[in-house]
Amino acid sequence: MTHAEQQEAAARRIVAMPARFPAPRMWWAMFLVALGLLALFLVSVAVLFVRGPGVWGNNIPVAWGFPISNYIWWLGIGHAGTLISAMLLLVGQQWRNSLNRFAEAMTLFAVMCAGLYPILHLGRPWRFYWIAPYPSTMGVWPQFKSPLTWDFFAVLTYLIVSVLFWYIGILPDLAAARDRAKARRWQIFFGLGALGWRGSAQHWHRWQQSYRLTAAIAVPLVVSVHSEISLLMAAGPVPGWVSTVFPPYFVLGAAFSGFAVVSMLTVWLRAMLRLETLVTQRHLDMLGILLLATGLMTAYGYLAELFTAAWAGGREAETMWDRFVGPYAWSYWGAVILNFAPLQALWWKRVRVAPVALFLIGLSVTIGMWLERYMLLVSSLYRDWLESSVGLFHPSFWDWSLFAGTLGLFLTCFLLFIRFLPVISAFEVREAALEDAHG
Amino acid sequence: MSGERPLDDALSALHGQSGRAFWRSLDDLIQRPEMRARLAREFPALAGSAGDWRRRDILKCLGGALAIAGLDGCERAPDEDALPYVEQPEGEVPGVARLYATAVEMDGVAQPVMGKTRMARPIKLEGNMRHPASGGATDAFTQAALLGLYDPERSKAPLFKGDETDWARVDAAMAGLRATFDRTGGAGLRLVTGPVGSPTLLRQIGDMLARWPQARWHIWSPLPRRTRALRLESAQVVVALDDDLIGAGPFQTYHAKGWGERRRGYQAGDGSALLFVAEPSPTITGVTATDRLVAREDRIGALIAALESRIDTGRMPAGLNSREADWIETVAAALERHRGAGRLALGAHHPAALHRAVRRIGALLGHAEAEEDRGVAQDLSALIAEMEGGAVQALMMLDVNPVFANPGFAAAMAKVPETIHVGLHADESAARCRWHLPLAHALESWSDGRCADESVTIIQPLVRPWLAVRSRHAVLARLMGDDRLDRAIVRATWDLDDARWRAALIDGRIADAAASPAPVPVPANRSEGAEPPFPAADADGLSVVIRPDPCIWDGRYAPNPWLQELPKPMTKIAWGNAIHVSPALARERGLKNEDVVRLRVGDRSVEGPVWILPGQQRDTILLHLGHGRTRGGRVAKGVGFDAWPLWNAEGPVAIEKRDRTERIASTQHHFAMEEDEFVRFVNAAADTLPQEPPRATFFPSQKSSPAWGMAIDLDLCIGCNACVVACVAENNIPMVGKEQVAMGREMHWLRVDRYYQGSPDEPKHAFQPVPCMHCEDAPCEMGCPVNATVHSPDGINLQVYNRCIGTRTCSAYCPYKVRRFNWFDLTGGDPPELRAARNPEVTVRSRGVMEKCTYCIQRISAARIEAKKEDRPIADGEVVTACQAACPTQAIVFGDTARPDSAVAQRKADGRDYDLLREANTRPRTTYQARIRRGDTT
Repeated sequence: MTHAEQQEAAARRIVAMPARFPAPRMWWAMFLVALGLLALFLVSVAVLFVRGPGVWGNNIPVAWGFPISNYIWWLGIGHAGTLISAMLLLVGQQWRNSLNRFAEAMTLFAVMCAGLYPILHLGRPWRFYWIAPYPSTMGVWPQFKSPLTWDFFAVLTYLIVSVLFWYIGILPDLAAARDRAKARRWQIFFGLGALGWRGSAQHWHRWQQSYRLTAAIAVPLVVSVHSEISLLMAAGPVPGWVSTVFPPYFVLGAAFSGFAVVSMLTVWLRAMLRLETLVTQRHLDMLGILLLATGLMTAYGYLAELFTAAWAGGREAETMWDRFVGPYAWSYWGAVILNFAPLQALWWKRVRVAPVALFLIGLSVTIGMWLERYMLLVSSLYRDWLESSVGLFHPSFWDWSLFAGTLGLFLTCFLLFIRFLPVISAFEVREAALEDAHG
Repeated sequence: MSGERPLDDALSALHGQSGRAFWRSLDDLIQRPEMRARLAREFPALAGSAGDWRRRDILKCLGGALAIAGLDGCERAPDEDALPYVEQPEGEVPGVARLYATAVEMDGVAQPVMGKTRMARPIKLEGNMRHPASGGATDAFTQAALLGLYDPERSKAPLFKGDETDWARVDAAMAGLRATFDRTGGAGLRLVTGPVGSPTLLRQIGDMLARWPQARWHIWSPLPRRTRALRLESAQVVVALDDDLIGAGPFQTYHAKGWGERRRGYQAGDGSALLFVAEPSPTITGVTATDRLVAREDRIGALIAALESRIDTGRMPAGLNSREADWIETVAAALERHRGAGRLALGAHHPAALHRAVRRIGALLGHAEAEEDRGVAQDLSALIAEMEGGAVQALMMLDVNPVFANPGFAAAMAKVPETIHVGLHADESAARCRWHLPLAHALESWSDGRCADESVTIIQPLVRPWLAVRSRHAVLARLMGDDRLDRAIVRATWDLDDARWRAALIDGRIADAAASPAPVPVPANRSEGAEPPFPAADADGLSVVIRPDPCIWDGRYAPNPWLQELPKPMTKIAWGNAIHVSPALARERGLKNEDVVRLRVGDRSVEGPVWILPGQQRDTILLHLGHGRTRGGRVAKGVGFDAWPLWNAEGPVAIEKRDRTERIASTQHHFAMEEDEFVRFVNAAADTLPQEPPRATFFPSQKSSPAWGMAIDLDLCIGCNACVVACVAENNIPMVGKEQVAMGREMHWLRVDRYYQGSPDEPKHAFQPVPCMHCEDAPCEMGCPVNATVHSPDGINLQVYNRCIGTRTCSAYCPYKVRRFNWFDLTGGDPPELRAARNPEVTVRSRGVMEKCTYCIQRISAARIEAKKEDRPIADGEVVTACQAACPTQAIVFGDTARPDSAVAQRKADGRDYDLLREANTRPRTTYQARIRRGDTT
């Protein structure tokens, strides 16, 4: 078989996968675990709603705790999907075709998990819509100077654009799956999703336009959304937060953590669904390089933060010193070591193309970036201005259970996605293969 | 009943039927013949009538029932407790508060207050501004007395052997006792009371002892105490030797008021205000001192001897270390410079010989106070011996709890045939008594009392008791066969005509002393206990110092959550006590905060967690009494450990570390103020802080009139916590309990921070009350996404509870961390009694919203409305915040900063004025005046 034929065969397999799933037992095992965690999520939310945010470890001074740090973490993860999919589409990197679909799905589910947190975090979550500008009978608008109001717009915009981008991208494959489906229920399921796609030249023309346009909107959103998230902290007069390096630092950290999760998902799906033909060593290599590059940029952010703290002196420097040696030093050094030490192995191509190594490094960075979000939030809040208001934060059981629950939510959605929808953009793979063969 | 269930049968008849056969109504069902038959069997009286009702009959019957109900109404006397607002009672205006002058008592010393009632509910106590003993100020205990009135765990009815009974039965039993004592002359009757200041009670006890000469009266005060207040307002120099003069206790308000007056005089350039303190463990008096000497408790004797020698002969005796010698020299020089204008005070727990020495020094310096001013703590050993010997036939305990404080008392009580406890709570002593009689709270009974300034005040009720309780006067009167009501009993003590009686009630004091009843002769059969041994101390080992808890005293306030949750001034520990050690001792023994240790003194021991207290003498171990109550109700249950077992213990002192820790709920964990200048200092009264140019800002400055602002003089603040409890009472602040306080979720809108500077062994301390700063450029307002915290036109940082969605951004951004969050529904589960105690002018906050100090905006609104009605601006001093009103030293001033003549504007114009966290550039409306290190001008 030629390369093009192999690709063609693989693409057919992808489209047929929902109907003939290759690893049903493994999938069921994982799905049960994910459902268990999802149940934990529901229990945690119920307990939270019945009793109030006091079930968490938050206090005064650490009024924000797990919900906000997890929110930032989840949203950061989401950004990698958009970057891989939209940015690489715009710059014509066709190798992205093997990764973009599930990376986009990851974005969607991560943004979902992220978006739930600020609502759950509220003292009165049933009033969350008051952040939205709508002509209420009270005649009160949101307070537009607040970074939380900007946050509302940023996350909502990002969610809508991500959904659109993902859906537009998957349309042709939904049509292909519809055409190939044997069972009536699959035909209806995919038929509804395909919105009457017939693959005419006109369709393809319109599709190209809208897909690229959405991509062009999505890429700057990655920058604006996470810059905005950083302003939640940077806009407050809290030593350790109020720093102009925060927006780029957060964006790079977000991409970094996202690529780490994409690497893990890639290795996992490649092994479970036997996608070696489509997801080749080259893809692993490229992911490794992206991870290394964004990691080094994030490290630069750390250095820039150190520099500004040392340069500003006073409370900024005290907070920095406190991060080195204070009660939350474990989170600072944990972040530094997990983010940047194993990362250095990626300088070698042998490591980059080794799936297990790439997975482990991705895991290390994912945990490291979680520690970083936690450290930035808690180590600044627990000791800000007055010595008298120093107070430690200890996460409670319900803090952890809600976090584990959102992992369950993510995994459940993601597993349903790989079970019922084409995980790789088959038509783009085919298009690229054809262009290769004839070009 | 036969067990047949007619309805079931009728229903079972319907089984298997459908459509039209299904019954349409119960009437339908009841008309079935089988149903009627069963009905006739079950209820023959109804059988004829059921279903025969016609509309007309029903209407007739209804009319008849109404008429009969009306007849019933004619016979009943109107319920005197009810206030029908359909027709407004004369003089009662809904929404307008009424003030009544009254008092609450502590250790026989009346604290004159103005009780504020709304719709006949007492909701707040303010100091009686017309009374010289308070000048409008109060202490924390007095503020919390309001909650004591509403305490849902107060005794509701008399108990006999632990079972509820009624007063009729009590009266019958009392009549029996009366007959016996009339026969025997009161042989075997023992009355135990606390210190008594009420002239009426003294008169009643005098009458009782005259009628029953064989009876004995034991005045029992568990703690050694001061019996007379010092006049500090005229003292240029005060020397307090291990005496917490302005600390918690019955004379706190009076002493602090006097100190504040003197200190303000000094600030204005009039004379000196020097306070010298020598003490083993830091107290708020020590913190306030211009020169504090850390001295072991058993060094006080040597210091007094040295001072006497130095003043008498001019020679400094040997045996003092250089720090002590310097201190004595400074003290002696100051006393000599201000001959006749000094005050010497020695802790009441020190032996009589030392008190005599102190009076000798006073005499040398021409001080007026020459008489004994302390009461020795009575141990009840004589009474216990009598009880064990079977000499006691009846024991009556009037508002005291000796079982808790005396380990041997309970066992001895078992030998007494008749035991009666009269108290607010069914406490440890009540549990051992045959009878427990519920006592009326001071705020719901008639009485009288003697204030700190020796004047007499009439205690009038703010509300009629809603429980089956009696006042102490009524209980004694009934025992003596006198059925008069409280008011008549109290009135009988005073030879006042109606006009003067009314005036005394309105003013809260009896203007002329002539009306005072003849002083009750000290009963000859009063029992005076022996002088207790001096508390445990090894010659050169450890010294154990046991003091009443600054918040719950000897345990009597343990059921009061406002006081339990009040952070102790020096340690900021709430809900419980600790074994306090010095930093040096902790280092030496390897102790950390919250490590549990067993503290042994001789053969007795207690176990509790360690708390390190900077400024405590190296070998001194401090314990607080009052915790570890076994029958303190739900509030006090399981809080702290009981330190009474070590009271008067003798023998070697040892600390053994246990391998466990116990959580201590402290609201402040870091006290060291290194280079940060949260509390700033100047050297002398005329000094000013370095003037700094205003910081750059691109926000417009807020110009409004009025522009509310507050000034807190840290030189006057003594950290007494009165403001904190006043704020709680005024603003319906919920209490959260130990666990939540330990997590950092206390709700106090106003906190008092405590800092120290310098070495932990002998640091300089300072207090700083921190309410909301009402910043002009408030970070919280910028952070809130829903406009729930906004600025008012008159410069107040408002919190709009019903707009708040609880993002907590405002708190994260607040540099002062003064915002409090309702992590749970903290108020919904309150019992009705506590709901009644709430201030109706202040919103009760729900779950999930942020709250904070409002500058008592309800009081501002009230003043604004009054001013508008009279078409005038709000006068300076018209708005008094709750914290300001309570403050005994007048450290807090509030008003319109836009008016240059206002008191607050003048305070802020002082060179000592500064912004807390000026570098945050929030332009706070609350500012502070720096502390002054010195107390004299030379």
